[in-house]
Amino acid sequence: MSALKQFAAKYFGEDPVFARRTFGGIQPPTFKEHSLRSRIMSSPIPPQLTIPIGPGNSGEISLLVGIGERVLKYQKLAVMTFYAEGRSEVPVHAPTSGVIISIEDSVVADHSQQQQRCITLASDGHDEAKKIEGQPDYVRLGSAGIVSKIRDAGIIGMGGAGFPTADKLAGCGDAGPEFLIINAAECEPYITADEALLRERADSVVMGAKILKQASAARRCIFAIEDTKPDAIAALQQALKEQLSIAAFCELVLIPSKYPAGSERQLIQCVTGIEVTTGLHPTENGVLMHNVGTAYAVYEAIVNGKPCISRFTTLCGQALKTPKNFEVLIGTATDYLFELCGIEPTNKQKSILGGSLMGNELTSDKAVICKTTNCLIAASANEIPASAPEKACIRCGFCADACPSRLLPQQLLAFSRTSDTTQLLEHGLFDCIDCGACDYVCPSHIPLVSTFKESKTLIENHEQSLLRSDYWQHRFQFRQYRIKKEKDQVLSRKKEVPEQPVQIAEQAPNTQNNEADIISKEQASRDIAAAVARVKARRDEKNK
Amino acid sequence: MSSLKADTPFQHTGRNVAQLMQTLLYALLPGIAASLWFFGFGILINIVIAITFAVLAESAMLRLRNRDIRAHLSDRSALVTALLFAIAIPPGSPWWLVALGILFSIVIAKHLYGGLGQNPFNPAMCGYAMLLLAFPIEMTGWHIPNEVINGPLTADALGIPITTAEREFLSPLGWNGFKQALLLAFPFAASSATDVKEFVDGLALATPLIEFKMAGKSALLAARESGASLFARDSETAWEIINISYLLGGLFLLYRKVISWHIPLAIISTIFLLAATFYAPGSVAIYGTPYLHLFGSATMIGAFFIATDPVSAATTRPGKLVYGIIIGASIYSIRVWGSYLDSIAFAVLFGNFCAPFLDHYCRPRIFGHGLRGKPRPTDGTIKP
Repeated sequence: MSALKQFAAKYFGEDPVFARRTFGGIQPPTFKEHSLRSRIMSSPIPPQLTIPIGPGNSGEISLLVGIGERVLKYQKLAVMTFYAEGRSEVPVHAPTSGVIISIEDSVVADHSQQQQRCITLASDGHDEAKKIEGQPDYVRLGSAGIVSKIRDAGIIGMGGAGFPTADKLAGCGDAGPEFLIINAAECEPYITADEALLRERADSVVMGAKILKQASAARRCIFAIEDTKPDAIAALQQALKEQLSIAAFCELVLIPSKYPAGSERQLIQCVTGIEVTTGLHPTENGVLMHNVGTAYAVYEAIVNGKPCISRFTTLCGQALKTPKNFEVLIGTATDYLFELCGIEPTNKQKSILGGSLMGNELTSDKAVICKTTNCLIAASANEIPASAPEKACIRCGFCADACPSRLLPQQLLAFSRTSDTTQLLEHGLFDCIDCGACDYVCPSHIPLVSTFKESKTLIENHEQSLLRSDYWQHRFQFRQYRIKKEKDQVLSRKKEVPEQPVQIAEQAPNTQNNEADIISKEQASRDIAAAVARVKARRDEKNK
Repeated sequence: MSSLKADTPFQHTGRNVAQLMQTLLYALLPGIAASLWFFGFGILINIVIAITFAVLAESAMLRLRNRDIRAHLSDRSALVTALLFAIAIPPGSPWWLVALGILFSIVIAKHLYGGLGQNPFNPAMCGYAMLLLAFPIEMTGWHIPNEVINGPLTADALGIPITTAEREFLSPLGWNGFKQALLLAFPFAASSATDVKEFVDGLALATPLIEFKMAGKSALLAARESGASLFARDSETAWEIINISYLLGGLFLLYRKVISWHIPLAIISTIFLLAATFYAPGSVAIYGTPYLHLFGSATMIGAFFIATDPVSAATTRPGKLVYGIIIGASIYSIRVWGSYLDSIAFAVLFGNFCAPFLDHYCRPRIFGHGLRGKPRPTDGTIKP
């Protein structure tokens, strides 16, 4: 069917969008229905918010407020300036009004779960907002204007990667990409934040997509959503129909439900047929992708002028009485949210941050929601059986059939165990996207992804140590060279010594040198006098 | 309801190695039942002996290697090896032959290389090949109790009316057939002179490749045309029905996604193409029809159950296809131009030799890379 459509596209000039077959993937049970039963709930303002600014080691933090200061909602609190190439600054804003009580490191619920510099804000309950100004007529802002507003609003990729949206838009260049894809696939089990958002606020998301299209100068805008989300699709279709005044501005593609269909490169291939070259950014192949959550945040920032102070997060798991989606303020503690869902603490076995396949165990219940926290699972003891023991690899190849990057996990495993770096690189270790599909199907229960992650870290560390040793070797060699050169100079000067008297004898009649010396001496004494006079004058001024 | 698991990633299909092996065992049942029906208890006795010695050898080796015996025995891989080996061995082989072969399979071909997952060669076929080289006479005769072939058939041919009771007595699944099968497996148990006489007289030799009988036409077809029962023990349809049973078992494995289609399809189509190419109607006796090659011998069990052993086979998709082609070509060559009647074991072992090489050179193109494994060169243009 797809071949037929491609044929039609080639000969009839039109280029319809359709879902292509992608390689690999799995179809796990999704358990999405539980959190979709209720509508999105705006979480109440907690008594205390701990707003993460960013990991201190990856950039420079400039604080705009001090401890004890009272701040208003939407007020800019700090700016994080990233060292990394292609990333600029990301500001954070106060989610509510209150007083800053401390600025210190705290655990943040992002994928690394490391300590980040955070601002703790005690809310005063008034929720007094700074005056903000929206610009519903975004076209008037122009591309650069939109980008700078987005940057000012502190929006980063809400899908999970957390790349600053403004930088992503700015990275497209003036020509603009061919495709802007709004990623609503949300293929990972348990997570329903995007689906719930589309179901209830599709209009705003479509508006956000229009703004993103304007800002990036993309020629075509495509919404990609899994075909198993009928409510969200209906809402989206309705919204697209209503906004059709700007002719044929957006297309909708239903993609087959499969994990990891929503992974950036896989989705690009599925929707456009472009296979993004390894090592290149998708924009270099003419595709820009944004998450629906990001599109919504952009809409809020441009049309309503609200900076990014909240996000949509799914709370689910059997230990919760009422699993649901929250519009949660950045900086809310996870245990506060669990309480809101009626957690049964005795029943909770484990908290998982993220979905069931790419998520990690939540190490601290005091961790705070950041701009990339998309899902929290409070799993009950029933939900998590005793882990099956790891067995020997029987090379069944199920993992290779499931791998969306067409890698051979069974081979990578063997090479990882023997630390065969050359073979690991040749077999594409760094093309692994850590999706966990191989783990999911492995009949021997081998922790493949964690093994590959370890290998990646080992190789990266090794490469860095090589770079470092290269650097130090270079410095050492240069030092040796310098010492040798100095020695040589001394030696050559010593050799020249017997010839010196002759030279001096030759130079003796030449008095110009002496004159120059005298002139310079006079000049020096004059300079000194002038300097002393200046200092005196300044001292006098001060005394006056 | 349990839906998650304890470590990252927190979800799993719930399928494990033991289940895969279990499915494989189930898939073998139709073929075993057909063999039992046509050839009597020989195959069952083989299976019992093989499983007994396999479990003993596996436990002993696990113990020597300081592994948890129960945990490793429960993966059922030793059972699968024993079953495949027992099916390959001619029914009516003496017990020591079966025991020797399975001990070689488990101890030398499997555990000395590092146990499950580490053996470069298919253990069952290693044992079989060893026996074929060391005991060629015992291994090339297909001993089945006399009654199976000659009992009712001779009686019918001579026009002697035999009663149902007598037929029961003469049936391979009757008590007499069982006794004879036991005597074949345990010759030392023959206590009296009559038993020995019965034992010696009770041998019939049937080669697995019933070339001449099937040369012109499928025996199944012939039997149907002549109105004979397909399942009558005196008919010549036995091998075809056994092969079809294994084919059904293999399709079941495909349906349950225990094996992929690549290896069986490559083997079967290679044999079919080669047989079709070399077969000439005038020279049937030499090369045999394609149908004979597919259904007149152990092709189906080889293609679906033996060559697909994941540990020793190629694991990449293109590699599996080449692996199947190599095995198919070897099977046909050895059968037609070689000196062994059936050739699955040597062909599979030859394929095992090639597997690591195939895994290295027949790799799928990595997503986002060019064909040679290097990242694709790009000029930044859009290629929708």
